[in-house]
Amino acid sequence: MTTAIETSGLTKTYDGAVAVSELSLRVATGQVFGFLGPNGAGKSTTIRMLMALQRPTRGRATLLGLDAGAQSVEVHRRVGYLPGDLELFARLTGRQHIDWFGRSHGGVDQSFVRQLLERFLVVVDRPVRELSKGNRQKIGLVLAFMHQPELLILDEPSSGLDPLMRHEFESLLRETAAEGRTVFLSSHELDEVQRTADRIGIIRAGKLVAEDTVEGLRRAAPQKMEVRFRHPVNPGVLTALNGVTVTQSAGRRMTLDVTGEIGPVLKVIASNDPVDLTSRPADLDELFLSFYRTSPEQEASHAG
Amino acid sequence: MLANITRLDLRLRRRSAIGYAAGMALYTLIVVALYPSFKNSTSLDSLSGSTAAALFGVTGKLTSSSGWLNGNVYGNFFPLIMLLMTIGYGAACLTGQDEDGTLALIVALPMRRRAILGQKLCAMAVQALLLAAATTACVIIGRGFQLTVSAGDAVAIAASLTLMGLDFGLVTMAVGSFTGRRGSALGIASALAAASYLLNSLASTISAIRPGRYLSLFYWSVGNDQITNGVSVGDFAVLVGAGLCALTAAVIAFRGADLN
Repeated sequence: MTTAIETSGLTKTYDGAVAVSELSLRVATGQVFGFLGPNGAGKSTTIRMLMALQRPTRGRATLLGLDAGAQSVEVHRRVGYLPGDLELFARLTGRQHIDWFGRSHGGVDQSFVRQLLERFLVVVDRPVRELSKGNRQKIGLVLAFMHQPELLILDEPSSGLDPLMRHEFESLLRETAAEGRTVFLSSHELDEVQRTADRIGIIRAGKLVAEDTVEGLRRAAPQKMEVRFRHPVNPGVLTALNGVTVTQSAGRRMTLDVTGEIGPVLKVIASNDPVDLTSRPADLDELFLSFYRTSPEQEASHAG
Repeated sequence: MLANITRLDLRLRRRSAIGYAAGMALYTLIVVALYPSFKNSTSLDSLSGSTAAALFGVTGKLTSSSGWLNGNVYGNFFPLIMLLMTIGYGAACLTGQDEDGTLALIVALPMRRRAILGQKLCAMAVQALLLAAATTACVIIGRGFQLTVSAGDAVAIAASLTLMGLDFGLVTMAVGSFTGRRGSALGIASALAAASYLLNSLASTISAIRPGRYLSLFYWSVGNDQITNGVSVGDFAVLVGAGLCALTAAVIAFRGADLN
């Protein structure tokens, strides 16, 4: 399997403050890779380093086998980019943006551009300052896709799109991947990413805390257990076990997150006279949130 | 691909470039048309030589053709408008667009940053030349209003002022790329231009700072009475040399700049 994006030890600091720390990841060709994280986690900084808008403090990134910085001209020829918080030239129309961008790429397939415009119902004949955020975002998407690049790097691509356009965008992502092209997209919305991405990377405070398939992350999600005992039980008997967190304890009721083996937990519960027990895997949402405030042990078990 | 960014920036600044050129042309036309009315007012000549007059760029006899043009066009308004335009564009075209968020689209194109900067320089040169051409045309029209001025000298001095404008525009680009702030770029470049103007103006009346005028780009473009003596090869060499230094600094700063 060939590699579309590879970073190793990618680090960015601003005046000593770490924005991205030792980020090493690999995105295979033909994948849709979802890059998730809360606001300020380092997603956009990572993307700016991939696009050579910012220089890494340490580490390196290669895109399509080319060095992101030293070979940026060739990289940019083959990559489509949508910046986060997209800003266009306020006085120009969508058509003027598209024509200018096409010329800058040495000409593009106009019939494909027409398809994109029709598909996203793009308003092309009004200055972009008169357009809504969603309509501007659609122009940004056309600019990213119009030269049919091998790799797309999209920072918060569905921001401002209505549900219909989001659906259309997700279809386009699937078609793009089916053609063997690669998509790297950042988002802070799990739903969108889990519908479209083959693999997910989660970044928190500049560090990659998990990287796996959606299914892999689901498997690793902690079991949520709710137990009702006949008599009040000291939570300490359960928290003493590895991989057990008591999230709620009120007398005879207790809620636990279990990430390790379940056998020892059941034994302790059984010896404390349980009345009722339910167990279910955590939602991906809960898992996602858990990564945002996760412990170092969990990070170690998922990253890589 | 060639000049695509130049064309974009010219389109974006079309109104301001035409406004600067039209405004300066109108002002110059009024100045040259008024010359016959003031030509014989020899009392005006007593203004020359004072520090206050020097401060406003007045040198030589105001009633002479060269003095009239220096005191009303070349010594003050023309360079002022030229610098407003080039420093304004120098701050807007890189750091300004970065602060606005539009530079990311340009830098993500398959082009080297130095080529992007080169195209921005071309756009700045076109705007400066438009201003210079409009002003020079109106100065030459002044020959119909009893002004004695050679077209060659008018073109040469316009070229030297254009070069000075580009020099300060490039300094602005360099400072902006280095600091990442449009305000700093505008402030520092404007302060340098003002200091350069004052140094040249006051050097004619304050002997203590007289040697310092060689540090002023104004001296090498209009401050050495170029409207009378012509612009020398040495003057052009200094202006071009300063421009090359500023360009080198701008390329180095922009290549290393972190953008949004």
